Amino acid sequence: MSDLTMAEAIREGLKFLAAGVCMGIGAIGPGLGEGHIGAHAMDAIARQPELAGPIVGRMLLADAVAESTGLYSLVVALILLFVV
Amino acid sequence: MKVTLTRGDKIFLLIFFVVYAVVLIFEVPSVQLPEGIGERWIVDLIPSWGIMGRVNPMTVIMTWGIIVIVLGFTLPIARNFKVVPNRKQAFLEYILNYIYQSTQDMITQENLVRPVFSIAATLFMFIVVSNVLTAFPGVQIVPTSQGLKVSLFTDTWYAPTSDLNTNATYAVMVLILSHVFGIKAKGFKKWLKGWFEPTPLMFPLNLIGELAKPISHSLRLFGNIMGGGILVLIVSYLIKYAFLPVFLWGFFGVFVGIIQAMVFSLLAIAYISAQVEEG
Repeated sequence: MSDLTMAEAIREGLKFLAAGVCMGIGAIGPGLGEGHIGAHAMDAIARQPELAGPIVGRMLLADAVAESTGLYSLVVALILLFVV
Repeated sequence: MKVTLTRGDKIFLLIFFVVYAVVLIFEVPSVQLPEGIGERWIVDLIPSWGIMGRVNPMTVIMTWGIIVIVLGFTLPIARNFKVVPNRKQAFLEYILNYIYQSTQDMITQENLVRPVFSIAATLFMFIVVSNVLTAFPGVQIVPTSQGLKVSLFTDTWYAPTSDLNTNATYAVMVLILSHVFGIKAKGFKKWLKGWFEPTPLMFPLNLIGELAKPISHSLRLFGNIMGGGILVLIVSYLIKYAFLPVFLWGFFGVFVGIIQAMVFSLLAIAYISAQVEEG
């Protein structure tokens, strides 16, 4: 680690900073979206408890779709950490 | 369900935990972050072809292994199919019935339900076996600075779905199949007209919308499995492999793995149904 020039050190540091910022900001959207989905699924289950099974199944499916933007930022962060 | 422990079980568990704790205390100073996180063993078969001549041997081996596992489980059941099922057949029927029901819900043309069901069920069975393998300790080969490092049962099995090539192949296959089914169901003229709806101005957006489908489809599975694997490795290192990794493997391997396999096959059905249905 000690034989880095200044430019390389700055580049390395910015890489980690970029990965962190990318993951942190990218997690906001999926968090909000999954929160909405979970809240509405709870509402629906409270109204019709006998439909809890199908509702939970569809909630998980919608969750998986909502988190895809978060996974894009995860992939970008992984590329920043391991490839660039 | 009530779990009862006999006296022998309790003594066994106590000895197990004491040995675990003693080994843990002695091992903690020597635990290091495993080398080669996120690295792949890549072989250049035909160097002049560049990126097209490269092979990822672990993916190839594990893919064939999983094909053997799936066929070994399903073929004996399919060979002697009984009216009164035994346990294995009932398990398989339960899974396939669920996929068949969701296919019927989403696709209204009667003659297309069976082919779409076979595609979705095949994808589901391959992906679920490959994802759940990441919950068990197994063989993993990663490159390090001193050459290949073979970890025998000190890491989880290598999942072909944690390689983007596998997922992208299936996603592109689903995209092409969805258009083939669309042409079959609607006719070529109506399919071509579908690109220019509601107005011809929307053609670029329709094109981008179609091309974005395989990207999101494949990256979703890749991100979940690969990200989960890296997360488990790093968290396991941070707590020095004390007790938690088992539960992390269970969560990321079994729970996330089964949900993502379900999501992948259901989205495949949804993409095909979006092309097939009369708009």
